[in-house]
Amino acid sequence: MDNQQETHVMSRLHDIEKFMDEQVGIEESFDVGFRQFPILGRKLNMYYVTGLVDTDYVIELMKELMEWEAEQPRTRKVFEGIYEHLVHQQVEIVESMEECITQLLSGLAVIFVEGEKKAFIIDVRSYPGRSPEEPDTEKVVRGSRDGYTENIIENTALTRRRIRDGRLRHEIIKSGTRSKTDICISYLKDVADPGLVKLVKEEVKNIEIDGLSMADKTVEEYIVKQGFNPFPLVRYTERPDVAASHLFEGHVLIMVDTTPSMIITPTTFFHHVQHAEEYRQSPVVGTFIRWIRFIGMFASVFLLPFWLLMVMEPSLLPEPLAFIGPNEESSIPVVIQILIADIGIEFLRIAAIHTPTPLSTAMGLIAAVLIGQIAIDVGMFVPEVILYVAVAAIGTFATPSYELSVANKISRILLLLLTAFFGVKGFTIGFTIYILALARTKSLNTPYFWPFLPFNMKAMMQILFRLSVPLAKVRPSIVHPQNNHRQP
Amino acid sequence: MDKTQLEQNQQEKPISILNKSLLTGFVGGMVWSIFGALSYYFNFTEVSPASFLIRSFWQTGWTSSFLGEVLGVIGVSLISIAGALVYYLALKKTNGIMPGVLYGGAVWGIIFYLLNPIFAAVPALPDMTSDTIITTICLFVLYGAFIGYSISYEYHDLNQPADGDASGK
Repeated sequence: MDNQQETHVMSRLHDIEKFMDEQVGIEESFDVGFRQFPILGRKLNMYYVTGLVDTDYVIELMKELMEWEAEQPRTRKVFEGIYEHLVHQQVEIVESMEECITQLLSGLAVIFVEGEKKAFIIDVRSYPGRSPEEPDTEKVVRGSRDGYTENIIENTALTRRRIRDGRLRHEIIKSGTRSKTDICISYLKDVADPGLVKLVKEEVKNIEIDGLSMADKTVEEYIVKQGFNPFPLVRYTERPDVAASHLFEGHVLIMVDTTPSMIITPTTFFHHVQHAEEYRQSPVVGTFIRWIRFIGMFASVFLLPFWLLMVMEPSLLPEPLAFIGPNEESSIPVVIQILIADIGIEFLRIAAIHTPTPLSTAMGLIAAVLIGQIAIDVGMFVPEVILYVAVAAIGTFATPSYELSVANKISRILLLLLTAFFGVKGFTIGFTIYILALARTKSLNTPYFWPFLPFNMKAMMQILFRLSVPLAKVRPSIVHPQNNHRQP
Repeated sequence: MDKTQLEQNQQEKPISILNKSLLTGFVGGMVWSIFGALSYYFNFTEVSPASFLIRSFWQTGWTSSFLGEVLGVIGVSLISIAGALVYYLALKKTNGIMPGVLYGGAVWGIIFYLLNPIFAAVPALPDMTSDTIITTICLFVLYGAFIGYSISYEYHDLNQPADGDASGK
């Protein structure tokens, strides 16, 4: 796949046929179609990919040309004549064979005319795909129900529907030497930090790979250097309203063709704890939901290690809380019980992802009733273990970002082990390392734990309290907006 | 592009890094002393903010109540403003999180070792349990990182915006 050398469109159709056969394998691949028909004494070769073109349009185009041929007009300007009779708003004339092939495989129809060193490319694409649906992971009680799809053109349209601003930019870059995936970078020209736009563009352009089959994820792994860090360094959204509100704030969005997930950059930890639902409720209710969620997330990381600590050293418990801790002895150490139960829940979660719905009820039943209850009856588990593991698990599910919830789960297990081995010291040191590790992480030059660490009062207030929209007058400083005020 | 950005930042300057730093000091003192009070409540440490500021000077009954702890937290928050001021004056040009961590460790050393004789309610360093020492060091390290990183980040963010863009990852 050497893209450097350009081949000029040949004037002899025979050469073109040979070239196309070599490059695309017209004879071998059944999905690449080819049709030859005469026009004004010349021959015309049309190539298309059967699954990616809209048959109606192709028929329409051919009909128009054939009717023109039937009129037998007296003109010498055959090429110009054909151009005028291609009834479509997107017709392009190209001179390079390589471009013809790329466009052909993107779903456009290519027409070669005998004796001409130019070719027509007509956008008759019609990609297989679904219509916008509400994304499963970001459901709201009220509000718009549309979601991004796998089609990048539709996705830009969904964004444009919400931002009818001439300053919204959708820049497209092709990436992947074989897949030639379209990647679109969206931002508001007069708001987004030009440095960030430049950085993102460079990172995307520097992607060198044959194909981006895992689309958004592949791009993410190229632009943020994740290393051993389990925390999600970018936020995804499938909701156009969430995407639009981030664009207004000055974020840069990366859309990748074939995926409904948009990448929002730059992202901080606290972007992962927000949910569109909060903004659909009154500020007080939104704040309430958010606090409850914070408690859940905090519990998902620290509750189990903390409880384990209290079980290991009951002397730590203050008088009013002395009832905490198992009453009965079990032959298995509590930490092992917790780990087994936690891994059991993980089994369940992993299994639930790929279990078909009719079977998942049965699976839930087996997991909940049989394993949970019987493990206690047999004497494997202390009932309290089940309680705390369950609370921590629900906390995990209450985390709006799936990626973050899994990262938190890993942190919890590490913290559990540290606590089990080193007691109070393990717990406090683990806590410190957790906070410091989050604080020193950077995602596209943005401190990850902002606005808590480094601290920013105004932004932190917006995290703790869901302000009403008229009160949120300025854009968050973390994106370094060129234009700070949201209300002109 | 640079021009608009610089103008932008000059507009923001009047909000003043100094004030932000002092506010950070206050909030940092409050957040981490609350954690300190909690770890005292759960017996991770033998000392709480109140042991330093309240119980060392008044030994009446109320000092070990909830009120005592609240006053202790408020006291630490106020004193912490001075801590932030010191960092702002001496170390604001540093980069990253490590200077803050070291600063926190140094503050711990000053309070727990050098100033220890002042606080009657705080046992001498050799008499403390290892849990107390580790927990308090952790809290001071977090506190130091909090104010240190916040102040230096704010300083670099407002003074060298171009640097922030070009510094790479």
